Amino acid sequence: MEYTRKFADKLSVEQVKIELLNTAYGNGDTFLAKLDPRTLFIWYLFFGIIPWFIHDVRVLIGMCLFMMVTTYMAKISPLIIFILCLGLLGQGGYLLVVSLFFGGNWTTMLPLLVLTVKLSTISLASISVFCSMNPDKLSDGLLKIKVPGQVSFSIAYGYRMLPTLIEEYHHVFQSFRLRGKTPEKHGFLYIRSIAYFVKIAMLSFYPLLLSTAKSARTTVEALETKGSMYGFNHPEVKKLKLASLKMKRQDYLFLLGSAIYVIALFILL
Amino acid sequence: MATLNQRYTLTQSQKMMVFILSMSLYGLSNMITELVPSAYLGPIEFSIEYFAFIPLTLCILFHPLYAAIGASLGEVIFGELMLGQFGGFGELEKFIAFSLAMYVAGTFVRDPKNKLQVGTAAILGVVIHQAISAMVDILKVWVGVEELEAVPGLAESVVVVEGFAFLNDVLFSGILFALLPTLYLVPRLYGKIEPLLGMKPRDRHDRYSLGEIVGPRLIVTGIFLAAAAFLFEYLSEAGFNVEWEADFLEMFGDWFIWVSLGVALIVAIITITFMIKKKSNTNAADQQEEKIPS
Repeated sequence: MEYTRKFADKLSVEQVKIELLNTAYGNGDTFLAKLDPRTLFIWYLFFGIIPWFIHDVRVLIGMCLFMMVTTYMAKISPLIIFILCLGLLGQGGYLLVVSLFFGGNWTTMLPLLVLTVKLSTISLASISVFCSMNPDKLSDGLLKIKVPGQVSFSIAYGYRMLPTLIEEYHHVFQSFRLRGKTPEKHGFLYIRSIAYFVKIAMLSFYPLLLSTAKSARTTVEALETKGSMYGFNHPEVKKLKLASLKMKRQDYLFLLGSAIYVIALFILL
Repeated sequence: MATLNQRYTLTQSQKMMVFILSMSLYGLSNMITELVPSAYLGPIEFSIEYFAFIPLTLCILFHPLYAAIGASLGEVIFGELMLGQFGGFGELEKFIAFSLAMYVAGTFVRDPKNKLQVGTAAILGVVIHQAISAMVDILKVWVGVEELEAVPGLAESVVVVEGFAFLNDVLFSGILFALLPTLYLVPRLYGKIEPLLGMKPRDRHDRYSLGEIVGPRLIVTGIFLAAAAFLFEYLSEAGFNVEWEADFLEMFGDWFIWVSLGVALIVAIITITFMIKKKSNTNAADQQEEKIPS
C-alpha cells in the first residue's frame, strides 16, 4: 500500500484545494485575462472548430504555433500542459500500435501525426481561453451570451462549495477507515487493498448524499431569500449585473490580429 | 387518496435542489475519479471510469431530467473546468450523451423498490452512454484523418479499439461502479433523502413518463438532443467530404471558413434552442406538494 500512501502524501486534501484555487484565480494579470469574455468566446468559437475541417498540414502547424504562443501568454501551469501531452501521446500511440497490428505500416504515422496536431491545436485553444478566465468572469460572460442563470450560478457555486465538499468527503472517508479493518494481506497485485479502498470510496457517498441534500436545500432557500430566481429571468436585473462588461480597443485588436494571422496562413502557404 | 394518480410535479425550488444536489455530488465524485490513477493489464484498462451510481441513484429517486442535467453540468464544471481540462465543444457531446443516458435510465424505473427494475436501469444507462461515446469517438477519427482509405488497418483498428473499450467499460465499470452501488444505495436512500429536500418519495403511482402531460415534451427534448448529437457529427462528416473531393482548399480557403462558421452557428443555435426548451420545460404548471418539515 506504499504506493497509495505516497500518492496520498503528495495529494493531501489541502494541496488539492490550493491547486484548485490556483487554477481558478492564479493568473488574473495576463493579457488574455484582461480581455472581455465575449472576445475569448468568439476567438474560441473559431479555433475550437475550424481545425477539424483543415487538412493542410502547413496551415495546421501554423495554427498550432499560434496556439502555443497564446498558451505561453496565458501562463498555463506546466502540470496541465504535461497532462495534455501525456493524453495526446497516449491516444496516438495506442492507435498506432493497434493499426500496426492490423497490417498497417509506418505510413500510418503521418495521418496520425496530423490528427495529433489537430487535437493539440484545439486543446491548446480551449486551455488558453478557459484557464485565463476566472470563475466570476466566466459566469458573467456566459450570462451575457444568454446562457441560463442556473448555469452561471452553478459555476460560482461549484468553486465556492468544492473545498467544503472535499473536506467533508475526506472526513467521512477517514471515519470509515477508522471503524473498518484493512485487509491483512495485500493480495495479488494489491488487489485486496485496492478493492477495500474503492469500496470505502463508494460507501462514503452514502452519508454524503444525505448531508449534501440538506445543504442543497439551505442553498435554495438562501437563493429564494435573495430573489435570485427573479434575477435569472428578468433582463433588467441582468443588465445591471453585467454593466461592467465592455468590449475595449484591445479586444478588437486581438480579434483583428488573429484574423489577419489566419488569413495570412491561408494566402501565404 | 386523491394524490395517488397525480403526476409527479415539483416546484421550481425543488427542481433547483435536485439540480444542485446532483451537480455537486457527481462533480465531487468526478474529481476523485480524475485523481485516481488507472491500472493496465495488457490492453484491458482497470480504471474507475466514473462513479455512475451517483447520477443513476438520483435519477431513480428524483425527477430524472433535472438530476441528469445537473450531473452532466457537475462533470463539466468540477471535473473539467476546475481542473483546467475543459475541452470546449467536445464537452457538448459528452453533456448530451450523458444526460440522455441518465434520463432514460431514470424514466425506466417505475418503482424504486423493485430491484430488477433498478438493476436493469443502471446497466441500461451505462450501455447507452458508452455506446454513444464510442460511436462519436469512431466518427471523430474517421472525420479527422484525411487518407483513411489510404492507410491500411486504421479504420478497422479504431473500431476494434473503441469496441473493446466499450465492452471493457460496460462489463467492468458498469457492474462494479454502476450496478452494485446503485442496488445498494437506492433501497437505503428511498424515503430518507426525499424529506430532506421537502418532497414526498416517488411511488409506483407517480408517473411522469410516456403518455403523461410532461412526458411528451420531455421525450421530444430527448429525441431532439439525440438528433442534435447526430446532426453535429453528420455535418462535420459532410464538411469533410466536400473538402476531400475538391482539393482547391488553398484557393478557396475563405469559403471553407464560411462553411465551417455555418456549422458552428448551427451548433450554437441547437445549443441555445436546447437551453430555451429546457427553460420552457421547467415552466410546467407547478403544484405545491405537501411539505414534510425536516
